[in-house]
Amino acid sequence: MKEDYLWDKTGEPDPKIQQLEEILGTLRYQPKPLELPQDLLAPRQRRNHFPLLAIAATVLLALLAAGIWLRVRTQSESQPNQASVAPAPPAVDEKAIVAKKNDEEVKKQKIEQVRKRGLPPLPRYTKREREEALAAKQQVMLALRLTTEKLSLVQKKTQSPSNQIKNQHRVG
Amino acid sequence: MKSLFHTNIRQPLIFLFLVIASAMVANAQDSRIQTASLDYLAAKASQSVDVNVDERLMRMAAKVFSDQDADERKVKKLVEGLKGIYVRSFEFDTSGQYTAADLESIRTQLRGPGWTRMVNVTSKKDGNLEVYLLFHGEQVNGLAVLHSDEKELTVVNIVGPVDLDKLAELEGQFGVPELGIESQKPKTKNDDEK
Repeated sequence: MKEDYLWDKTGEPDPKIQQLEEILGTLRYQPKPLELPQDLLAPRQRRNHFPLLAIAATVLLALLAAGIWLRVRTQSESQPNQASVAPAPPAVDEKAIVAKKNDEEVKKQKIEQVRKRGLPPLPRYTKREREEALAAKQQVMLALRLTTEKLSLVQKKTQSPSNQIKNQHRVG
Repeated sequence: MKSLFHTNIRQPLIFLFLVIASAMVANAQDSRIQTASLDYLAAKASQSVDVNVDERLMRMAAKVFSDQDADERKVKKLVEGLKGIYVRSFEFDTSGQYTAADLESIRTQLRGPGWTRMVNVTSKKDGNLEVYLLFHGEQVNGLAVLHSDEKELTVVNIVGPVDLDKLAELEGQFGVPELGIESQKPKTKNDDEK
């Protein structure tokens, strides 16, 4: 038996060698792309927190922007009101200036007196705010009047024996 | 990519849902009664009163009550802690202008957690009068009065810590009638409607 078969695959092969070839042939290198198992890939995806962080950052930025916008808006709204109460134009005679100074001093003295008495300072409302506050006061008074009127009626009814009182508890 | 989307979006959605749910629960605890369902009655009513004073207006109003005047000082003390006063009152020329469903829409809210019906008076002459208090522990955190007559429907809702002592002090002032309200709080809550 020539041994050329083992050298250059010529000549008659040995059946044992052929058998070995068949067995080992299944383990031969076959070119194909690398496939990683799914259980290795999944934890890597879970560990990626970037989208979550991005969402959280966006929400925070939106809240921050809204806060800044609201602050700027309220400031810009209050500025014209302050401007309307601003001091008089420069072309005013001396008497007016003296009178104004006196008024301011009187106001300061009043505020000081109130502070000395231990009471809170008077609210500094603009004309519009004062009107709104007075309207609210009227509404509060109307609501309290109605409330006490109804409660008074309840009291009268609960004291009257002829009426049917379902609940035993009285107000208070 | 699909699984990546599901994994990353599900968590914020759950968080958002929890935030909304907690906000709804907090809202349920609020003593503000929604009366928007009664809006349509204004067109039918011969006279209607609509008072909407929220916390901001309440604070503003409290500042314009005089500290020098003893009567106004009492009202100021009462309203200072309040978060709102809301009144809807309708007077009709003829009976049957509002429905039982209108009343039920208010009563349903007053059956919510914390609310206790203190008084329910039924009278042929004056109709039905109900007084509800919202308790937060020992403190009264809201008051509601529901008056339904043949030709009248009134809902009064005071939001915030109502001081019954201070309310009693208002009796006979600014046209406010004498009530005889005492400061004693009930020991038991009547939950017969629940």
